[in-house]
Amino acid sequence: MMLGKDIELIDGKPIAYIKSIKALVISDIHLGYEAHSARRGILVPKVNLASIEKMLKAAVNGRTADVLIITGDIKNDFSSVETEELNEISDLVKFARGQNLKVVLIKGNHDNFIERYNRSFGMEVYSGPKEINGYVFFHGDSVPKIGKRPKMLVMGHEHPSISITNAAGRKESVKCFLNGKYKGIKILVMPAVSYFAGNSSVIHADRMMSPIFDSIDVESMHAIALGYGETIDFGPVRSLRLADRRAMGARL
Amino acid sequence: MTMVNKIEREFSTEESLSVLNPYVREWFTKNFAELTPPQRYAFKLIAERKNVLIASPTGTGKTMSGFLSILSALFEKSLEGKLEDKIYCIYVSPLRSLNNDVYKNLSRPLEGIYGLIRESKGKEIITGNIRNVTIGVRTGDTTQQERRKMLSKPPNILVTTPESLAILVSSSKFVENMKGVEYMVVDEIHELASNKRGAHLSLSVERLQDISEKKFVRVGLGATLHPIEEAAYYLVGTEEGKPRPCAIVDTSMVKKMEVVAISPVKDMIYTKESKIEDEVYKEIDRIVSASSTTLIFTNTRSGTERVVFNMKKRLKYKPEDIAAHHSSLSRESRLEVEGLLKQGALKCVVSSTSLELGVDIGTIDNVIQLGSPKSVSRAIQRIGRAGHTYNATAKGEVIVLNRDDMVECSVMLDAALNKHLDSFSVSHNPLDVLAQHIVGMAIDRKWEIKEAYNLVRKAYPFSTLPMEDFLSIVNYLAGNYVGLESRRVYGKIWYDKETGMIGRRGMFIRPIYMLNVGTIPDEVSIGVFEISSKKWVGNIEEEFLSRLEKGDIFALGGKLHMFDHATGTKCYVSPAMSNTPTIPPWFSEQLPLSYELAERIGDFRGRLSKELERMDQDAARSVVSSKSQVKIPERAQAILDSMPINENAKIAIAKYLTEQLLFAGVVPTDKLMLIEYTRDDKTEKDILVFHSIFGRRINDTLSRLIAINLGVVLGQDISIAINDNGFVISLEEETEIDEQTIGQLMKRVVNSDVEAVLRGNIRNTEMMRRRFRHVASRSFMILRNYMGRRMPVNRQQISARILMKAAEEIDPDFPVLKETYREIFEEVMDIKRTKELISRIRDGSVEYKFIDTVSPSPFSHTILTFGHADVVLMKDRNDYLRYLHGLVLKRIGVKPRSKARGQSR
Repeated sequence: MMLGKDIELIDGKPIAYIKSIKALVISDIHLGYEAHSARRGILVPKVNLASIEKMLKAAVNGRTADVLIITGDIKNDFSSVETEELNEISDLVKFARGQNLKVVLIKGNHDNFIERYNRSFGMEVYSGPKEINGYVFFHGDSVPKIGKRPKMLVMGHEHPSISITNAAGRKESVKCFLNGKYKGIKILVMPAVSYFAGNSSVIHADRMMSPIFDSIDVESMHAIALGYGETIDFGPVRSLRLADRRAMGARL
Repeated sequence: MTMVNKIEREFSTEESLSVLNPYVREWFTKNFAELTPPQRYAFKLIAERKNVLIASPTGTGKTMSGFLSILSALFEKSLEGKLEDKIYCIYVSPLRSLNNDVYKNLSRPLEGIYGLIRESKGKEIITGNIRNVTIGVRTGDTTQQERRKMLSKPPNILVTTPESLAILVSSSKFVENMKGVEYMVVDEIHELASNKRGAHLSLSVERLQDISEKKFVRVGLGATLHPIEEAAYYLVGTEEGKPRPCAIVDTSMVKKMEVVAISPVKDMIYTKESKIEDEVYKEIDRIVSASSTTLIFTNTRSGTERVVFNMKKRLKYKPEDIAAHHSSLSRESRLEVEGLLKQGALKCVVSSTSLELGVDIGTIDNVIQLGSPKSVSRAIQRIGRAGHTYNATAKGEVIVLNRDDMVECSVMLDAALNKHLDSFSVSHNPLDVLAQHIVGMAIDRKWEIKEAYNLVRKAYPFSTLPMEDFLSIVNYLAGNYVGLESRRVYGKIWYDKETGMIGRRGMFIRPIYMLNVGTIPDEVSIGVFEISSKKWVGNIEEEFLSRLEKGDIFALGGKLHMFDHATGTKCYVSPAMSNTPTIPPWFSEQLPLSYELAERIGDFRGRLSKELERMDQDAARSVVSSKSQVKIPERAQAILDSMPINENAKIAIAKYLTEQLLFAGVVPTDKLMLIEYTRDDKTEKDILVFHSIFGRRINDTLSRLIAINLGVVLGQDISIAINDNGFVISLEEETEIDEQTIGQLMKRVVNSDVEAVLRGNIRNTEMMRRRFRHVASRSFMILRNYMGRRMPVNRQQISARILMKAAEEIDPDFPVLKETYREIFEEVMDIKRTKELISRIRDGSVEYKFIDTVSPSPFSHTILTFGHADVVLMKDRNDYLRYLHGLVLKRIGVKPRSKARGQSR
């Protein structure tokens, strides 16, 4: 679906395409998750990187894109860069290059020590917010300083999702974008692209993860859900919360 | 001639005793007046070094029947001065408490026999190196120090558990002590033959046989089992594709039984619940006070607690007279209760399943069973705990708790008296169990793949294992599902395709195997407390807790509770002001009704209702309204009179069936499935009640199959609640259902590809998630114990969800997934019998009938009250997101823009 004239939220995928800057935007990849789990005794087969590559390949198709912007957390381990992560980051960059995409990484809180290895990867890495043609990209673990009035803020970190009680009384969770305003400026919160990362339901959250939400009226933000091949605006969080209370009430 | 055969003729006492060493014989005749039935067969057969399966009730000298000839052979060795410090006999029992019993029960004869030898031989004991036969216990509780001692000086008879044995066969040092094993005794074989734990043991035994220098004699001990040949195959395994020889000694029916089903009141519907409860306790009191020791069985742990509580409170039993015994209690308190029982110090003990098994509990006069134990074999086993000796008659009363229960218990006891048992089946080719043993084997040494495969196939549960499945597990264990560079982490074994060899990978794999071996999944129980009064309501499992969110409503102990919060191992709730749980209790403490028993119930209903139908409306009405005696047709009365039930029960059963006939005009039977379209007054929802009396495992399968097909027809998510006597399908959206819809539905059902339909849908169920976790941890995909850390259950559960998704992504036939489906299809559900039933519906030998009722018919009531629920989701539809969106809009009062798109497929 289109968000205004310049932004396309690609149907069914946690990917945004910004026409004017020929960019695909994704967030929160958490590469190396499987290896991290394996070291704790949970042998998760490796599927994250492959699934992201598959989605990107489909996104590139039919669109003019020459840059892949990652709004933070390309990797999973806070404390160091693991061999598995290095291999996977290298594979992802190679893949992007193969699709004629330059990789721009805005560092997230999981991306410590990445510069040390970046020489071999050749990504553009920024530790603070990065402005491109009026769009300001940042991770969201802290509140960024914002210069002259930008067109829009784009962030990650939050892993937003909504969970809907279905007719049979079970909660079904789907990833979503959040679209709203921060101090009068448009803001788009990206869903996590990771196959594994846990998602936090904005309907049931007492508190959001990112401090930026202290200055945002979350209830008025629109949750744009994606899944099952579609992307649909589910309306403001306020009405989702109301619907949830009614769904619970109906069962009381 | 088959190699597995029942021995029909017992040997004479002289024949039996003549095979024993003189000292052993002397000790035996001094201590026992006569041979018990199993001993009359087993002494001689085992002395002839035959494999023997002995099925006999507890208290018939079973242990001695299996062991005496072995002791005799060991003392022969000793008298020749040839008894060495090595293990000659291994005894395996699934129960640790039984291990201690056996240790004690064998220590006494060993002392006694050796005493006789010492008396007669004097100094020669030392000069001739005549040593006593030694015995030792090795379980998870054995201390490090004891283990070290056992390694350097092993006992002649090793008493152990299946899990410890699996560890021992992979301990390079200890294996040296076991190479000379000559006898393998497997106790409580009925607890093992039918499940994964037993399949696991069967591989340990074959691995042990493989490293042993001699072919050992196998002795199996168990209670009643049907078909018994199947248990024999399990015990002895196969060689070159054929079963090894085995003699079957079946004295399981020697004990006489005197049983009766008791209805506490004449009318179980219009009598107030409190009155029924009063009468139940009066009945209990009558029986308990007339006997010196009574054993009461309930079907759940919480039931056990409730009965003890009420007997103290209502009937004023003193704490020293009564005790509870169930698996949630600490080992110490269970041992204490067992001790008191043996001394005869208790008036009454209440148990769930824990006392059903062979722990020695002294003399019990009477067994009371509260509610149906759900299977004929279990009823026989439980009631068989009564009566001092095998000559005595076992006396048992079954007190029923509702009307379906009453019909069920009556038929069950009738079947028990006529020795019609439920059948069991062996767990075939469980791949997760196989995975553990391949790792274990690779730890021992390198294997040629064919050689390893042939060894595995010797175990009966794996005797039909396809090479393809074996290889899929080898590839999985070798980590071939991840890239080469990651196999160091993922691979547990290496597999060289060129040479066809497998072996262990890395040094950590040994501790991983030792710490994670076994088939019993971790479950932690959490106490549930009322938030204001802090009163204990019951227990839930940790996994269940991990799914609860504030405000969720769930059923426990027959009441609904709203979840508030949890701290560590405690969970706090308040009473729910609602009728419907928001969280389905997918696990169920309740035992499932067996197929055979269900069929007999259906048959009984059919026979009785045929006679009752002869009454005219007035006669029928007077039966239903009568407060005391009822007048029913003679032949109906004759059927009831032939049952082992009290007068109240006869009246109540007659009223129950007559009421159903009056209301619905038809009683569901084993030949007639009734499909009732009605309205649940409580939830004000339209429901379909399927009265299907074919056992719970079939209902579990059939209900899903029907719900999936109905979901497709109607295009909506559907909730189901499953019960022993049928299942309920709740319709969420207003839908008109008539005979034609049902006709279409059933046509779809009988023509569906059962596996494919279920497989496509089961992956969204709670059951799948839970079972996948168990299978993943058995397959060492989740290591519960790793690098010195124990993974909490809720973390295992979250991990399992991620694992399942990832496994599906790389291969829908990933071995761990494949095994999960197999376990669900064959062990939870009963896909084979469901298919048979469907083909009977197709050819018309089982009919179905649709009725539309204004309110639920009498036979619906228990189905509606007690069911375990699950949801069949239509998630596979590609417009599911749109469907969810439609739900939201509806709830906030906005009409979806295009309703048609949101609801149709």
